[in-house]
Amino acid sequence: MSSVTDTLPSGPTRSKMSDEGFISSLVAAVAISLFLIASLLVPNFFQWQNVVNLVTNNWAVIALGVGVSFLLVSGNFDLSVGGIVALSGVLSVWFAQSTEGANALSTGLGLPYGLAIACALLGSLAIGALNALFVVRFGIPSIIVTLGTMMVARGIAQVITHGSQRNTNLPDAFGYLGNLSLFGTSIKFPVVLMGLLLVVAIFVERKMVFGRITYWIGANPEAASLSGIDRARHITKLYLFSAGIAGVVGILLASEYKSGFSNRGLLMEFDALVIALLGGVAIAGGFGSVIGMFFGAIILAVVTSAATGLVLSPDWQFILKAVAVFLAIVTQTWALARRNK
Amino acid sequence: MSSQSKTAEQSVASGAANFLRNYYIYFVLVAIVALLSLANLDQFALFERGNFLNKRNIINILRVSAPILVVAGAFTLLMVSGYIDLSIGSTMGLTAVIYAMLAINGMPFVPAFLLTMLAGAVLGAINGILVVRLNITPVIATLITLSLFKGIALLLVQDGVSAIKSGGGLKMPAWFNDYGRDGVFLKLPAAFWVAVAVTLVLIVVQNRGKLGKYAAATGGNPTAAKLSGINTGRTVFLLYVIVGVTAALAGIARSSFMSLGDPLSGDGMELTAILVVLLGGTAFSGGEGRVLRSFVGALIIMALTVGMLTIVPAYYQTLVIGAALLTAAATNHLVSQKGKVS
Repeated sequence: MSSVTDTLPSGPTRSKMSDEGFISSLVAAVAISLFLIASLLVPNFFQWQNVVNLVTNNWAVIALGVGVSFLLVSGNFDLSVGGIVALSGVLSVWFAQSTEGANALSTGLGLPYGLAIACALLGSLAIGALNALFVVRFGIPSIIVTLGTMMVARGIAQVITHGSQRNTNLPDAFGYLGNLSLFGTSIKFPVVLMGLLLVVAIFVERKMVFGRITYWIGANPEAASLSGIDRARHITKLYLFSAGIAGVVGILLASEYKSGFSNRGLLMEFDALVIALLGGVAIAGGFGSVIGMFFGAIILAVVTSAATGLVLSPDWQFILKAVAVFLAIVTQTWALARRNK
Repeated sequence: MSSQSKTAEQSVASGAANFLRNYYIYFVLVAIVALLSLANLDQFALFERGNFLNKRNIINILRVSAPILVVAGAFTLLMVSGYIDLSIGSTMGLTAVIYAMLAINGMPFVPAFLLTMLAGAVLGAINGILVVRLNITPVIATLITLSLFKGIALLLVQDGVSAIKSGGGLKMPAWFNDYGRDGVFLKLPAAFWVAVAVTLVLIVVQNRGKLGKYAAATGGNPTAAKLSGINTGRTVFLLYVIVGVTAALAGIARSSFMSLGDPLSGDGMELTAILVVLLGGTAFSGGEGRVLRSFVGALIIMALTVGMLTIVPAYYQTLVIGAALLTAAATNHLVSQKGKVS
């Protein structure tokens, strides 16, 4: 019995944190320090309500970030999520609108709301399946495939809404889910759902075979295949998972605004990728964590809201995002190299 | 005996596949033009006397095609070397703004033109440094600059105005339109002929020049290229600079055509460029691809998008381009029959 412990290398007394844990704590530390710096610079920034807002205002992007992070860890991009958000929202509206409308844009299929959102979700999963088909079966680079499916998804949404939006003739139940407040507070149902998703995702990523296989595939695809992992099937599941999340986000946003807008979710795929990168998810695959992604989202939220508080023109957000991602990538590479020297 | 006939069959099949691979794009162009010529365009105001093959219509399409035609060649070489530039749309927007600002503040055509090209080279060099020196993945590096260049372009235009244009005491010079609109030869504007000239130069570079060979070697097998003494880093850097310069030419063409400097005028250009290059049969993995075929690919997309506007409402455009991108990628895969990745 003692022989087992004897054979272990005698490391430092403190058990060494994993590289992922190290990067996640680094990102969390940066997020907290940025918040404190912003509190010094921006009046009224240091408030509990503001901390809550940083999370609740970004529930959609954080939720999308979960699917995108899992795919990145497996070594694949998913840029289609923004398009899917628009598509599923528009579909849910179109399916739920009653059949006798005054014009083309106020006439839908008249399905009951439950059925309407189920069908909208199926539509999103179809885009996910399309991603998987092209990436897995045809071996086309995921960046090109998902740029294409992003346009296809948004394109279908534009055709259904004639390039604008549908918001009339909806059943009363339509606006319920997106505006439901829970626990008698201002915290809305979508935010709670996002929180649940985060917890489940962290559990799956750390403790379940599914999560570990995702890392395995990203770290060494060949070895994963050789050890009997069905990569094609796993990546297909990940694309369906990501598209499913995007579908739910789209349905909830459509419900919140009581409209299906073909431009909703514009650039959300970009923001989801940005927060994953800020959170230390490696583009090469096999490295990263959902917790890191969450703090990446907080960094982005602090930076953009502080910039708004400092009355910078909204045009600054593009430059801020670029600089943040650049610094994140350079620092993380440097920190990891230094740590593992 | 049977094995011999089988190999003969195979060689016929591979000959046919080769033929398809080399020439299918020309058939696609002919088919699309034929299809659009058959459609009845009489009722559409955009085209006079309702014929797709009408001279004015062709001139019109070639005029608006100048931006994508000028970037297609350089973008092909970059993809042949196995790299990508997602920032060309933002480079185009930023250089369009710079060019319009120079012109509206009284700089004559030639210096404004050259300075904008220089700006394009600098923007391309920034991409090159991020990718080659700092070793950031091309997709991420150019997404960073996509955001950066767009942000700068938006900041250069003052609040409350959407683009650099006449007004507030400043007036666009009269010559500003000429480059993108005024017919200089065969009724086509200088912007179009510059695109043709750039393409011709790049065809020569690809077939005869060192850079073309180095690009193919870098994309085909980077390690082997390095071992045989090719400075792959310098090759890639140079290609990013060339792409930046052509994107600046595209920005000049677009801003001259629209007679304003719109920071968002290049949005979506990276997608069109990828689509065009894929249509031309360039392999995603690098190593293969021809400048000329991408040029034809660009003509196809412009004929398709402009022609389509006459048949269906504009809101079909995104769907059609997305579907075309996926189709091109799938065709590319089927024709080249490169092995599965995962």
